[in-house]
Amino acid sequence: MPAPHPLPKNPPKHTLLEDIQGLTIGLITTAIGLSFIAQLGFLTGQTAGLALVISYMTHMSFSWVFWLINIPFYILAYVRMGKEFTIKSALSVTALSILMAYIPPLMTFQTLNPFFGTIAFGVLTGFGLLGVFRHKSSLGGLGVLALIAQDHFGIRAGLVQIAFDAILFAVAFFLFDAHVVIYSLFGALILNGVIAFNHRRDIYIAN
Amino acid sequence: MSKSDANPTKHSKFEDAQAFVYGTAMCALALMMLKTLGLITGQTAGLALLISYLIEAPFGIVFFVLNLPFYWFGYKRMGLTFVIKTLICVALISVFTEIFPRFISFETLNPVFGAIMIGFMTASGLMAIIRHGGSLGGVGIMALYIQDASGFKAGYVQLAFDAVLFTVAAFILPLDLVGYSLLGAVVTNVVLAINHRRDRYIAT
Repeated sequence: MPAPHPLPKNPPKHTLLEDIQGLTIGLITTAIGLSFIAQLGFLTGQTAGLALVISYMTHMSFSWVFWLINIPFYILAYVRMGKEFTIKSALSVTALSILMAYIPPLMTFQTLNPFFGTIAFGVLTGFGLLGVFRHKSSLGGLGVLALIAQDHFGIRAGLVQIAFDAILFAVAFFLFDAHVVIYSLFGALILNGVIAFNHRRDIYIAN
Repeated sequence: MSKSDANPTKHSKFEDAQAFVYGTAMCALALMMLKTLGLITGQTAGLALLISYLIEAPFGIVFFVLNLPFYWFGYKRMGLTFVIKTLICVALISVFTEIFPRFISFETLNPVFGAIMIGFMTASGLMAIIRHGGSLGGVGIMALYIQDASGFKAGYVQLAFDAVLFTVAAFILPLDLVGYSLLGAVVTNVVLAINHRRDRYIAT
C-alpha cells in the first residue's frame, strides 16, 4: 500500500459540470462491473456485498435491497461528514440502484468465464469507484459507520471494514458454494488493489 | 514500497506496468464489443477494424501490422522509451483482443448502451496508457510529426483522418452502425477532453 503523502495546498476545484460527468461515468461503470458478478452469482464486500447476499437469499432485486439498507447510514453521514457529502452519497446510491435495474438486461452473456468476469468486475468497479471518490461522493453505507467507530471507540476505520467483510464472507461460506466465495474474494482483492494503487490525492490533485 | 513514495510525481515501473495492463485490457474489451456490434471507431484502431471486417482477418494481426510503419515517426518525435512502451501496449491489445472472445461473448448487447460503454472504457483505458507515458501508436504519432514538419495542427490531422475513415465506412457499413460508431467515438473523445488534465493528474 502506498504511504500517505502531504496533500497539495489549495487544490483546484471541480466545477459542477465536471462533478456530474465524473459521477455519471463512475456510477455507470460501477454498475457495469456489478452486472458481471450479479450474472455470475458472485458477491463482493461492504454494503453492496451485503445487498447481493440478501438479494440472492430473498430473490428481491439488488436495486431495492441496496437502496433500502443504505437509508440508516445517511443519518450517520450527515452527522459525521456534513450535508454536501450526504446529499451526493444519497444521489449516488439512488442512481446506482436505478442503473442496476436497467443495465443488466442490456448486456447479457452467452459465455462468461468466471475468472475473467471476476477480473472485469474488479477492474471496472475499481475504476468507477475512483471516479466517485475523486468527485467527493461515496456509495454510502459502512464506510461512514467505520469512520464513526474510529472517532468514538478508537478502532481504526479500515479494521472495522475488514471485520465486516470477514463476517460477511464467513456467513457466505455457509450459504453459498465454496467456489462462489473464493471467486468473490478474488474479485474484492482486485477491486481493492485498483483503488489502493490509484486513489492518490497527491497525484490526482483536484477536489 | 513503490519508488513513487520518494517522488510522488514520478510513476514507478510497477505502476506503469499495472496501468498498461489495465489500459490495454479495457481497450481490448471495448474493441471486442465494437466487433460484437459490428462497429468501428476512429484513428488507427478504427481503420484496423474496418480492414478486418473487409478482408475477414483477425483484428489483432491487422492492428499490429498497421502500426509497424508508425514506430519510426514515434522514435524520431518522442524517443526510444515512448516507442518501447507503445510497442508493448499495441502488442498487448493485439493479443488481448484475440484471447478475450474465449472468455466472454455476448448474448444481447444493446447498441446504444454498448456505444456509450465502449466510449467510457476506451477513454479510461487510453487515459491510463497516456498518463503512464505510452500510446497506441499509429495516426496520433504521425500527426505530431506532421505538425512539427509543416505546422499543420496535429488535432486537425487526426480529425481529417477520422472524417475520411467515417466517410468511407458510410459507403461500406449500414448507416445505423456508422451512427452508433460515431456515438462511441464522440463519447470517448469528450471523456478524454474533460478528464485528461496534466494540471490535475500530475504524475508522469
